[in-house]
Amino acid sequence: MDKNTTRYNVQLYIYDLSRGMARSLSPIMLGKQLDGIWHTAIVAYGDEFFFGGEGISSCSPGGTMLGPPDTVVELGETEVSEEIFMDYLSSLGESTYRGDRYRLFEHNCNTFTNEVAQFLTGHSIPSYITDLPSEVLSTPFGQILRPILDSIHIAPPGGNVINGGRNL
Amino acid sequence: MTRKLTPDASCSIGGVKMADQGAADPGNNNNNKAEASEGTIIKVTVKTPKDKEEIAIAEDASVTQFKEEISRRFKAKQDQLVLIFAGKILKDGDSLSQHGIKDGLTVHLVIKTAHKAGEGASPTASSSTSTQAGTSSTSSPGTEPSPTAGSTGSAPPPTQTPNILTGFGDLSSLSGLGMGSANFMELQQQMQRQLMSNPEMLSQIMENPLVQNMMSNPDLMRQMIMANPQMQQLMERNPEISHMLNNPELMRQTMELARNPAMMQEMMRNQDRALSNLESIPGGYNALRRMYTDIQEPMFSAAREQFGSNPFSALGGNSESGVQPSRTENREPLPNPWGPPNSSNPPESGGSTTGSTSTTGGTNPSVSNPLGINPGSLGNGMFNSPGMQSLLQQISDNPQLMQNMLSAPYMRSMMQSLSQNPELASQVLMNNPLFAGNPQLQDQFRAQLPVFLQQMQNPEALSVMTNPRAMQALMQIQQGLQTLQTEAPGLMPSLMPGGIPGMPTGGIPGMPTGGIPGMPTGGIPGMPTGGIPGIPTGAGMPTENPASSPSSAGTNTAQQQLMQQMLQMFAGGGGGGAGGGATVHAYTGITSFTPA
Repeated sequence: MDKNTTRYNVQLYIYDLSRGMARSLSPIMLGKQLDGIWHTAIVAYGDEFFFGGEGISSCSPGGTMLGPPDTVVELGETEVSEEIFMDYLSSLGESTYRGDRYRLFEHNCNTFTNEVAQFLTGHSIPSYITDLPSEVLSTPFGQILRPILDSIHIAPPGGNVINGGRNL
Repeated sequence: MTRKLTPDASCSIGGVKMADQGAADPGNNNNNKAEASEGTIIKVTVKTPKDKEEIAIAEDASVTQFKEEISRRFKAKQDQLVLIFAGKILKDGDSLSQHGIKDGLTVHLVIKTAHKAGEGASPTASSSTSTQAGTSSTSSPGTEPSPTAGSTGSAPPPTQTPNILTGFGDLSSLSGLGMGSANFMELQQQMQRQLMSNPEMLSQIMENPLVQNMMSNPDLMRQMIMANPQMQQLMERNPEISHMLNNPELMRQTMELARNPAMMQEMMRNQDRALSNLESIPGGYNALRRMYTDIQEPMFSAAREQFGSNPFSALGGNSESGVQPSRTENREPLPNPWGPPNSSNPPESGGSTTGSTSTTGGTNPSVSNPLGINPGSLGNGMFNSPGMQSLLQQISDNPQLMQNMLSAPYMRSMMQSLSQNPELASQVLMNNPLFAGNPQLQDQFRAQLPVFLQQMQNPEALSVMTNPRAMQALMQIQQGLQTLQTEAPGLMPSLMPGGIPGMPTGGIPGMPTGGIPGMPTGGIPGMPTGGIPGIPTGAGMPTENPASSPSSAGTNTAQQQLMQQMLQMFAGGGGGGAGGGATVHAYTGITSFTPA
């Protein structure tokens, strides 16, 4: 086996969109404890990648308006080079991760992060993140809010859309 | 030639390897250098970004063989294929088993194509990544937030996020920049933005006569905008903005734009194009950046504040809780909400404590009594549950929390709609665990609902809620009552007639939950005691009058029982919130709530 392949470190940045409000208010609002409304992004090759209402975006790590992440999880290392990764992201961005495919509950930033994490490292992201939509939807309040929430697209600004249509 | 460096798990025999030419692997129909063994066929899922297929291959096959199979299936050349498993790139010289690829596992595939949109060639990839950081802020006008919520079809042509502030002439395209902090406000801004970008929804809103009315009055718009102190500051600093606002033509044009989403998008696109052209001019990037930081940011924070429950309030970002300053300015000196006789309780800054509400029954909110609290109608029941206690504490500790929440325009409109739809409101409430175990409370609450919802509408009420000192005062009151209850339990029942005016509960309609208006309390009538003179600081809401509880004269047995229960809840609440004390929990339904 050749061990001389370069390895790149892959991290998961986790942000709490509610800034702590979910932790305090979720028991009242939803009837169950949610520690946060999680938005995640993959950080690799010195850049942060995430999926939002605009499609796949990237920026410098911690460079969105969300500021620095609440938690960083080391996902491991990958041999995948940046070039291949960008190819991969472009393909994703044209298909399953176009901007208009964003769905707050079923196909959101965490879906993307999970998929990319598996691609890069073979590991998934922690399940408390991917379980969030179903947790919320299983509460009456979540059900009531669902139509409204469905129209929300989270797109933390500060990123650059990859494979974006127009780069003027 | 494949070489196995590690023992193949599937090859359990002592490694008899025959250079068999594939006879042993029925599934492996490639020419092969397969090392023979049992040659079980495994099904491996090969996943590309766009597609996935299941490929049957021999367990001990080599990567080359695998690629051959794949190239057939995906119609791509072998050298375009890049296989990745568990973060490792599968090289031709390896074997599948080497990487631990077994039946049912997924291998990722990237097909390199030279002419893929923008990619395939490394230079483009790396250059785009390297320029990202540099242009991230300025190129966001160039980003395409695709409108959605199912409105446009697939692959929408690039469109801009119509940001309502588009009216402001040249600055409209800056709306793409810096959209604000990530918190609930961000969420609802996004939501609003989506609303805006969905032409149908937008036109629906436009059709709303109220909106139309407002938009057709340029003076009104201008006034609204200028009334915001932040905006005023902004205008001082940047006179161009005030020129812009004062230009009726421009305002009119803006409103036309707002009415016509397509036109708006068109204009935004033009603006963005112009801006990005600007970027290419030497020094242009800096100019843009300056423009953004000097103008757009404060303007957007100002505008957002301004527009309160206006559906167009999705105006760009407030980068932090700039909410606070404007709120502080706008707020009148915080009156003592449960104002009454106990004016020795000026909870807040500039607190002019105020007129007591002497009226009973539905008191109208007034400056001095922003919550419109009818002292007599206040109950404290729910409010003193352990949950509420902890919430209160959290809120006091984190005023930002309340502010953020309450200032969210979305919240307001939600409360509005809830107040118009009491059915929904009661439904939401009843589902809330705090109410779960207590049908009595529910009923009480339901009766109070309309009043309560009214209170929530009152921005003064809201601002009181966001004041940490107010919160603290409330807690003091509660604690005082609890102490009293434990010290002199006999006192309470005798004071039953009349509610406790201004009990914290009533004082905080819908408290903390914010999102669920109607959290406990909106003035549960007949609550424990009215005149308790000498209630320790902060509490002291001597009764107004016995008949103040709207629901009754307050002296019937049912009420008494209820009050007893409430009292017990205090004690229970004291235990939960303050840590220690009586442990009576009258309502088991509340146990689910623990101080977060």
